[in-house]
Parts: sequence; C-alpha cells; structure tokens
Amino acid sequence: MRPRFRFEPYVQFMQKAMAREATYRFDVFTSVASVLVRVYLLRMVWVALYARNAAPSELPLHAIITYSTVALLMGLVMDIDQTRLLYEKLHTGGIATDFMKPIIVPLYLFADGSGEVIFHAVLIVPSLLLALLIVHIDVPGPLTLATFFLSFGLGYLVGFCINFILNCVAFWTLEIHAMQLIVTWVTDLFGGEIIPLVIFPAFLQKVAFALPFAAMFSTPLLIYVGVIKPERYAAALGLQAFWIVVLGLIATLMWRAGAKRVVVQGG
Amino acid sequence: MAIIEAVGLRKVFRSLERQPGLGGAVRALFSRTFVDKVAVDDVSFSLDAGELVGYIGPNGAGKSTTIKMLTGILVPTAGTLHVAGIVPYQNRMANAANIGVVFGQRSQLYWDLPLRESFELLRAIYDVPRARYLENMKHFAEILDLERFLSTPVRQLSLGERMRGDFAAAMLHDPKIVFLDEPTIGLDVIAKEAIREFISMVNKERGTTVILTTHDLADVERLSRRIILIDEGTVIYDGSLERLREEYGTHRTLVVTLAESYPELAVPGAELESRDHNTVRLRFDRRRLTAEALIRRVTERYQIIDVAITEPDIDSIVRRIYLEGYHEGVVGAPS
Repeated sequence: MRPRFRFEPYVQFMQKAMAREATYRFDVFTSVASVLVRVYLLRMVWVALYARNAAPSELPLHAIITYSTVALLMGLVMDIDQTRLLYEKLHTGGIATDFMKPIIVPLYLFADGSGEVIFHAVLIVPSLLLALLIVHIDVPGPLTLATFFLSFGLGYLVGFCINFILNCVAFWTLEIHAMQLIVTWVTDLFGGEIIPLVIFPAFLQKVAFALPFAAMFSTPLLIYVGVIKPERYAAALGLQAFWIVVLGLIATLMWRAGAKRVVVQGG
Repeated sequence: MAIIEAVGLRKVFRSLERQPGLGGAVRALFSRTFVDKVAVDDVSFSLDAGELVGYIGPNGAGKSTTIKMLTGILVPTAGTLHVAGIVPYQNRMANAANIGVVFGQRSQLYWDLPLRESFELLRAIYDVPRARYLENMKHFAEILDLERFLSTPVRQLSLGERMRGDFAAAMLHDPKIVFLDEPTIGLDVIAKEAIREFISMVNKERGTTVILTTHDLADVERLSRRIILIDEGTVIYDGSLERLREEYGTHRTLVVTLAESYPELAVPGAELESRDHNTVRLRFDRRRLTAEALIRRVTERYQIIDVAITEPDIDSIVRRIYLEGYHEGVVGAPS
C-alpha cells in the first residue's frame, strides 16, 4: 500500500530552498559584509589583547586570528537555523497541509534546510577571498585540512539536531523565542565560535568540553589550528559522532511525540 | 460504490482549561486542568464516487475536524473511516496520493516562489507523469486563466489569483477525491464564479468526488444536489437540497407597508415575523392560506400602501435549522 520511496521530491525541495534563498539578495550581501566586519573587529581585539598579555602557549597571535576568521566563515553555515521552517509551520498551522501530502515530513524539513545551507555555503568562498585582504590565515597540511572538513560536517549535524530539537519544542509551546535566546547565548559562549575554549579557566573548560556545543565549532577549529594533534583526531571525531547519536535520538523522540500530538490534538 | 464511508465518527479534543485574568494565566503555568471538548460527536455518511456534496454547518460544528480525519491528519477517537478503501490515519501517505485539498484560508503554494515552481514541486511530490502534467497544466491554465501570473511569486498574487493557483495545485495529480474547505471565502463575485465553474468541471468531466465545506450557500445551490448538514458534531440532515427546500419552503412571507402604525397588529393565520416602523413581515403557510386570502385579511383590518411576497431562500432555511434544529416532516407541523 505504501507508495515506493523516491528521492526526487526531496531533491526538488532542496533546489527550491536554494532558489528561495537566492531571492533575498540583499540578505546575501549583508551576511558577507557582516562576516568581513567581524573578521576585522576580532582581529583588532585579539591584537590588542595579545599586546597587553602573555600569549597562551598553544595559541600564538597568528593562530588565534586564523581561528576566529575560520570560525566566522563557518558561521555562515552554522549560524543558520535550518529547521526554522518547522517552527513557522507550527505557528501558522501550515504543518497540517504538509501532512496531507505524500511526503516524509522530517525528511522534507531536512532537505529544505540543507538547500538553504548549501546556498549559504557557497558564500564562504567569496567571503574567504575578501577576508584574506584583511587578515592572514594559516593553512594546515592536507591530513589536518581533510580532518577539519570532516569534523566541520559532523559539527553541522550536531547543530542541525540542536536546532531541530529546539524547533520541536514549538509542538507544545508554540513560542520558543526565549529558549532560542538562551541556547544561542550558551552556544556562543560554550561552542568556541568567538572565544577558543582552551583559553577558558580550567573549571570552565571542563564544563564547556562536557557539553555538546563544543562539538559544533570548537572541535573542528582546534583541529584546524593544531591544538588537537593527529593522534587525538579519532577520539575528537568519535565524541562528535557520539553527540550526533544522542541528540539525533532525542530529536527523533521529540518529533514522534510532536507529530502524534498533531494527529491526536489537531495541532 | 461508496468511495467514502464514515461510520460513527467521533473526535474528542483534550484541552487546557484557562482561568480568566492574569492570576489565572499565572496559575495555569503551574496547575493545569483539562477539559474534553467533543468536536465531532457521531457522524456517519457514505459518498459514491463522482458525487459532489455540500458539507454545511455553523462555525464550530465539526466540519474541519471531519475533513482533517478524512485527510488522515487526525486520528478519530471512535468510529470507522474508509477513503477509497484506505483507512486514512493508518496509511497517511497512500491516502494523500488519492486526495486533493484546498483551504480557502491557507495556501499550499510556496510563498517565495513563482507559481510555476510550486506546480513543478507538486509534480515531483505526486510523481505525475510529465505528459499528464503538461496536459493538466495547459487545461487548467486555460480555464483558470493562470498564464498571466505563472511567473509571479505567490506572495505577490491577489487572493483571487492565489485561489486559482491553489485549485490547479490541488488537481494536478488527478486526485480521486477533493476536499474543499471554504474555497470561495473572501473572493469577489467574478472570482467566485470562476472557481465554481472549475469545481463543476472537475466533478462532471473528470468524475472527481468533491466534498465542499462552505458558509456561502450560493456555492452549494450552484454546485451540489446533496447536502449534509452538521451541527454540534452530529449530522442533522443528509439529503437533497430540493427536499429541504420543499420541507422548509412551505412558509412564505408577506411584507406589508402600512399607511399608519398600528401598535397592536394581528392577522389570523399569519405569524408576525418582524416589524420595522410601518413595514411588517407576516409569515404564513401557503398550504393553509393563499396569499390572496391573507392580503384580503390584512386589508380588511388595516390601511396599507404596498405588499410583496418573499420565498424563503436557502440561507434563511439553513439559518432556521441552525436555530431550531432540523425536524423531519416539518411540513405538517404547525408553527
């Protein structure tokens, strides 16, 4: 009875999401400009801080500037809430029309979000080229670079799960703004996007590395700048994978309970 | 052969009871009491393939809830339901392939994309063969006059244009059954007529079964012979529009403009429906009293300037049923 699974609709969802993003051209330009402004500002901050303090041994000035520039470029992809569509659909009740179509709804959301992300990922290249006019970035060897990209991919999935879980909360509360603010704040602080976790005080480092947020930015970035050495690559990637499994499981359970609520309660 | 079969359908929602005021809102954060709300109490009906039926009822009668159960997005609390041989909530995906849905209040088109792209996407979703897709597109574009705005992003379309787009979108995969939930709401007369024309075409030429939910009874008069009236979650009438009109159309109203105001006005055999200054409306049973006899009785008693007779329209019949409930054989009952 069940219609056979076809990839075509989901590929289309992805393409349409890219096309949709491309219609907001102004947004594209401002997001590139904003990255460049932040690259410049962070460079100034680190130069000033390093001039007045003793540099931490593992992160000399050129390393930390590389770190924050790569982090900002990653942010072009990572800072997108790819599953915001779910929240919007729950808010407007539009989720009902999706359930009336012969599609797997979470896969649709994933395809749509990925389309959005792929579009923004394309912006990394011009942003990088322009950033090189402002700062110098270290480029590691091929093994490190490859591991970094793999770790970046895993970090993206961790971020996807966290966003999905957060948007699933809207099944019950409809409003998630306050929660989102908290999570954004915690991610900013404990994710390692702005401040490398290794320069935190020892106690705070323990807390930060025990949380899943470190798997988003900190792990790929510390691999890139060489703080995580090749012999620890496997363990670092393994920890990221662990978080994907745990968060993926929570996301699945929340989706099931939420979808059930829609079919039982009418949303 | 029945394409939709609903027996004893029931849906109870559990919702949070809200206390009034700020104190209540704060209390609700901590202690919650639930109340059960019966949205659909007991609904049974059977629809043959190719039928076009009006599903009518006041706000909150349970129309939308029934439609949601038929589309498989709500699980009934009790009762059985088959749509084209499928239990919708058990097999949502297979059911979805058989049905098309149009909501007047909610678009299924993709807001930021040109209309054409939404159709492309739906083609992929429903796996419509390319040739069939092009054929349908050509046909619909012609009837609904879509060509002009196929490349316009949906958010820039007028309501009438958007609804036409929504109708084409719902019919693109040749569904066996379409559910139309208030499809003409907010449209101007011309757009309404275009939509009705399209519904009629789909039903007659393609043999599509149509369930039409609407508050605009002109839709029903124009399109369907059969109506199902629902109130407080139960079916109160299921039958032809003509029968309803015959049963409830036994009473006419004589509108009389009086020369002067008579404070106490009474005419034997007629009921004073309303009065507005010197204009009074007298309701009478045409089988008991001829209009001529009634006019005579009025003129014998009062000075009049003008008279007119009005037949009950479907709106007033349904309004009366909403207020008083439906009574079988209301015909004979004295009112």
